[in-house]
Amino acid sequence: MFSPEVLSNLIIFVPTIFAFFLIFADTKATEFMRVWTLVGTAITFALSVALLGTYTPADGGIQQVVAKEWISSWNIYYRIGYDGISLTLVVLTGFVFMVSMLASWGIEKHVKGYLILFLILETGVMGVFFALDFFLFYVFWEVMLLPMYFLIGIWGGPRREYAAIKFFLYTLFGGVLMLIAMLMYFFASASMTGNGIGSFNLLDLAKWAAQGNVFSPGLQVAGFILLFIGFAIKVPTFPFHTWLPDAHVEAPTPISMILAGVLLKLGGYGIIRVAYPLCPYGAQYASYALVAIGVVSIVYGAFAALAQTDFKRMVAYSSVSHMGYVLVGIAVWKISEVTGAAEGRDYWLMGMSGAMFQMIAHGVSSPGMFFCVGVIYDRVHHRDLNQFGGLTGLMPRYSGMAAVIFFAGLGLPGLCGFIGEVFVVLSAWNYSKTLAIVSASGVILTAGYILWALQRVYLGPEYKGPHPEAITPMTSREQAIGWALIVPCFALGVYPNFVFDYTDKPMAKLVRSLDDGYQNTPKPHSELQTTQK
Amino acid sequence: MDSLGNTLANLLTIAWLLPLFGFVVQILFALKWWGRKSKTGAYLAIFCIGAGFVCSSTAFYKWDTQAGHLVFKEAKPAATAEVAAPESEPTAEASDEHHHKKSSGKQTVFSGTFYQLAQFGDLKISLDYYIDSLTLAMFVMVTLIATCIHIFATGYMSEELVEDYVDHQVHTHDGGHFHRPGRFYRFFSYLSLFCFAMLGLVIAGNIFQVFIFWELVGICSYLLIGFYIERHSASTAANKAFIVNRVGDFGFIIGLMILWTSFGTFNFADQHAADHSVKPGLFSMVTRDDHGEFAKTSGGKDVVLTTQQDGHGAWQAPPESSPRKTIAYTLLIVAGLGVFGGCVGKSAQFPLQTWLPDAMEGPTPVSALVHSATMVAAGVYLAGRFYPMFTPEVLLTIAYVGCITAFVAATIAIVATDIKKVLAYSTISQLGYMMLGLGVGGWAAGLFHLITHAFFKSLMFLCSGSVIAGCHHEQEMPKMGGLLRKMPITALTMLVGVIAIAGLAIPGVYLKFWWYIPYLSINSDHGYVLSFSGFHSKDAILATALGYTKLNPLHFLLFLIPLLTAGITSFYMFRLWFYTFLGKPRDQHLHDHVHESPWVMTAPLLVLAFFAAFCALGGEHGNLFQTLSHSEPSHVEHGFDGSQSHTVSLPDSHSLHVKPAEGGASTHDVAGRSALLAAFIGMVISYLIYAKRVVNPDDIKRQAASVHAFLANKWGFDDLYDVMFVKPAHVVAKFAAAIDKFVFDEILHTFVRMGIAVSKWDRKFDEGVIDGIVNLMGNSTHSLALSLRNVQTGKIRQYVTFIAVSVVTLFVLLFALYPKG
Amino acid sequence: MQAIGPNPFLFIGAVLFVCGVVCMTTKRNGIGVLMGVELVLNGANLNFITFSRFTPLGLDGQVFSLFVIVLAAAEAAVALAIALNFYNNHLTIDVDRGDDLHG
Repeated sequence: MFSPEVLSNLIIFVPTIFAFFLIFADTKATEFMRVWTLVGTAITFALSVALLGTYTPADGGIQQVVAKEWISSWNIYYRIGYDGISLTLVVLTGFVFMVSMLASWGIEKHVKGYLILFLILETGVMGVFFALDFFLFYVFWEVMLLPMYFLIGIWGGPRREYAAIKFFLYTLFGGVLMLIAMLMYFFASASMTGNGIGSFNLLDLAKWAAQGNVFSPGLQVAGFILLFIGFAIKVPTFPFHTWLPDAHVEAPTPISMILAGVLLKLGGYGIIRVAYPLCPYGAQYASYALVAIGVVSIVYGAFAALAQTDFKRMVAYSSVSHMGYVLVGIAVWKISEVTGAAEGRDYWLMGMSGAMFQMIAHGVSSPGMFFCVGVIYDRVHHRDLNQFGGLTGLMPRYSGMAAVIFFAGLGLPGLCGFIGEVFVVLSAWNYSKTLAIVSASGVILTAGYILWALQRVYLGPEYKGPHPEAITPMTSREQAIGWALIVPCFALGVYPNFVFDYTDKPMAKLVRSLDDGYQNTPKPHSELQTTQK
Repeated sequence: MDSLGNTLANLLTIAWLLPLFGFVVQILFALKWWGRKSKTGAYLAIFCIGAGFVCSSTAFYKWDTQAGHLVFKEAKPAATAEVAAPESEPTAEASDEHHHKKSSGKQTVFSGTFYQLAQFGDLKISLDYYIDSLTLAMFVMVTLIATCIHIFATGYMSEELVEDYVDHQVHTHDGGHFHRPGRFYRFFSYLSLFCFAMLGLVIAGNIFQVFIFWELVGICSYLLIGFYIERHSASTAANKAFIVNRVGDFGFIIGLMILWTSFGTFNFADQHAADHSVKPGLFSMVTRDDHGEFAKTSGGKDVVLTTQQDGHGAWQAPPESSPRKTIAYTLLIVAGLGVFGGCVGKSAQFPLQTWLPDAMEGPTPVSALVHSATMVAAGVYLAGRFYPMFTPEVLLTIAYVGCITAFVAATIAIVATDIKKVLAYSTISQLGYMMLGLGVGGWAAGLFHLITHAFFKSLMFLCSGSVIAGCHHEQEMPKMGGLLRKMPITALTMLVGVIAIAGLAIPGVYLKFWWYIPYLSINSDHGYVLSFSGFHSKDAILATALGYTKLNPLHFLLFLIPLLTAGITSFYMFRLWFYTFLGKPRDQHLHDHVHESPWVMTAPLLVLAFFAAFCALGGEHGNLFQTLSHSEPSHVEHGFDGSQSHTVSLPDSHSLHVKPAEGGASTHDVAGRSALLAAFIGMVISYLIYAKRVVNPDDIKRQAASVHAFLANKWGFDDLYDVMFVKPAHVVAKFAAAIDKFVFDEILHTFVRMGIAVSKWDRKFDEGVIDGIVNLMGNSTHSLALSLRNVQTGKIRQYVTFIAVSVVTLFVLLFALYPKG
Repeated sequence: MQAIGPNPFLFIGAVLFVCGVVCMTTKRNGIGVLMGVELVLNGANLNFITFSRFTPLGLDGQVFSLFVIVLAAAEAAVALAIALNFYNNHLTIDVDRGDDLHG
């Protein structure tokens, strides 16, 4: 129907077009606007699935690049394209936004503004996943920030202003670091472009980084640290994670779903797509710290989740814990001290793919968990874990769905959470025995906090909290959301190749080029040795 | 064509997937289609697992007639039948790409792949199958027992077939009993899911797949223990079971990580690629030489993996010049211990045994199926399956863990009064026996006990279920007594189980079967000792243990403690039986309402009693043992001489039966007789105390109050773990949450406060200094103007005066300053 | 006739000027002030004429004084009109009452 280039542009801008027409809608026609927005997100999702069909998994490279000159004096292009890594995340984004829109039916305040911001947010996220120009990437990155700020700050809970500002400050800080790194690379690449201006082209920058002699080790280390902190805030990893619980707790349910399901993935995607390819030397230089941070996130997040009494806060900390696996998987890059070549590259590839899978899996299970919290919160208006109980008897279908989704979060085989976690952990031993063992201990803690929460909320004879009269069975809309989230949980858990089919080749290519990049970069200490001679 | 492998794989896959189908249909549609009051869901579950049993049995029959030649053999002379030597047999030859058969020693293995989960370079993770006689025996055992228990459960759970079920154990806040809809169909759907997971675990062709189903049986166990979700004790027990299992799984994962990183594969069996190249499986990479030693590097610290095939297809270490894969010997030990850690969790071994007694919160059929016969035995199964990877050091650990578990659990069982708790502790104790058997080198002995135990323990649990149902959910033995007349079938089948587990036999009396029933018709020279299954299997374990302690005198406790435990086992099991079925009724009201269970519950008891009695017929010459030992890892048979490498030695299974030249009894006979003696002593003491009341047990309890308290408190493990792990975990969790709140957030807030402070200063500077200067200029102009204003009086005469005076002044000044032009 | 120097003329001019100024500062009557002004102007005129007679200034002095006379006439006309108006408004021509616009 459409060529792939048109499709990818449509995916980015269809939400904006729908948002534009919403401006003319009557403020009181809330039902119409909701349906309209739902149609918009559904079309975007359908288009992203259609794009999946045009993709050639056998080719690991970036496909269907569109490049239009934008600001010529700075060599800035509107350059978009995709490979298996971004494509799977695009589909996830389309899916999560559609499901979250279904979950947004309960929003009654300023419906029009909410929906417009919601759609603009989707454009921002899609744009980040498609962008291949660093500047464009940055622009979309910031485009995403504002709607999110308002969505939390206006439609949030009692402490929404605090949470929104915290979110904004953290993310903006990360964005600034990214901007610095971007400019560093822009000016460092001036010698490589024909016209001597420098380049924002992520593909070119990555290519030159793989050549090794373009970007100095110092630049790569500095650039990596800046980029990593920028993205780590979004992931979020310990110790940059404290915005997350507040943002989640205060955000309305659908926004929490998006935040957990999609926005956190942007951090991981940024590390995979930008930080690593541009700074192979820096990435390898910092790898031990990265794995350590990831492992600490896993254990720390799990412990913190165990201590929470707020249901939603517990789920938020579980995100910290789960996203720790992503970082560990990406970073398990072991090199031979002698040659500098990757040692056990297949294990690293496994870690990377596991991390990728974990992102997708978490993108399904985590919105599910937030949705489960939202369903009960909508009814009884509290989230105190110690004041629930007995929901299985009152809402059997909901409890069953919640159990499945929480088990997916727990990493039960056959559900989506298992593959990513276990692959990452298995690949970690090759890198560091100690860190691998610590990361494996996460399985005990995860089981602990999830089962304990399930027991307190769903099991037991009676509901103990306020508003027992408000507990009614799930509506059909809520059931639809539940099923929509459960089906991929099972599908991904039973047949992980739904993801691996698309990510295998690009990941292998990435790992290879990173390996080359590190080996080709002249090492500072080897320079020292040669000068001494 | 290797159709046998295909056939077996297909049959077992059907048996494996049918319960999954049953589960899906029940969980999604049972309520909608059939309603709460219908048993249709249960019938579907029974059909699925029963069909699974038929498939498994067919598979076993096919395997035996075509490859095993053990049970369903032609009427051959006994001597030749015993020696099943596949090398000379026309077993299946060339195989297609997906089904491979390996014959080395006595083993016949069929392996292949269902589908691939992921591939990273050379690393492949897939779902495979691995079928040997152990797999088949487990399949038949699991499906048979599960079918019996399903049928039993249709009776036991029938009170759930209501719209309004009253749970008398749960009280609502207004003091009444808790009411809820019945959950009959849910129970059977969980059972089906469990059967699927358990069979998947058994058929698994790689250790990763074992782990997958390992977790799934864990979650089924969680669901079934917590079946009465309204009871806080049940949900807590379910959590405990799952989390304690996860502690074991933590070790399991470490083992997996080591194996994966060092070996690069999870597969048990060799993998045949499309280009006819062969990738060695785990078991092929750690082959031993004729002395039972691993191939090691010159330094002796690393084990060289045998990754190269010689001309005959045997795996050997590549020459030193070529690139070799090695694994540090210590790492191999750690990997073994790690995987065994998983087994410790699943099989409730010391020190992770605490969850199993609590798991008795689940309905009794669950206790029978999951927590005695199958799932908890999965740890033993895995230890047996993974046996080639265990070094002698690991085996020693396994032996000691099993030994300690057997003893500790048996002592606690003496004082337990809840009928199910007694059985639970006896389960733990018996699992300890199995581990011990594996650890001391009795591979087949340990797994032999696994199978026999599964039959008699599931039988006893079902009997206890029948008793509990008959007594209207009273589980305390002190309130029972004298039930023999009221429940004769239950009592007698229970007696079969008790005799089986106690290991009683009538020595010197031999039976000869000439019936034309394939399984029973094998004859040996003497016929068979008159005894039930437990005797043979326990006998085999103790014999191996004795052989082991003879080789390693340092570890003599590994024989003595199990021997003592055999006596204790006999004591407490007969205590249970006497307590429950003999004597006078201690609670007359209860006794009056007791009734024998309906036939759906007693029929499975009879079936299981038959197997509990006769499944091990013939002992180590019988069919079951021979079938199992058909899969025995090739290095086990010859034992191991550890004196050179300064580790423990393992006994040679043949030497156990050899009578010493100077006369006397063989090791096997010595062990057998001691065990029998211990069992008899235990039974007699029990009889005297509980049936004859020679001594009042309450007096004993008072005499040894502290010991009783210690045992009743389960050796204090629960309290210990609570103090050691659970509380600290919560403290650390609070600490982590507090760090977030008081450190990270505080740092952020400090930054924000600093920002605000700086901006306040900035504001002050702006307002004070910069604005001040501007304002000063304005103000001064203004005040000057104000002061000048006073001059403007509006009085013309004044103005004129000013002008005149000013002019004069100007002139004066002019002339004063410029005196002469 | 013995030539007289400019000094007597200048002296008379100065007397006239001083008389005019004194008249302006002391008189409260508007007309009186006007007369003082005339005296001052005429004193100045006398000086112009004196300097045109005794210095190389020439006819210019005569011309200036003619202008001054014309100007004085015009000024007197305007000033009288103001005085008339002032009287209309204030029923007096006391200049000290005309301080409505004072600062």
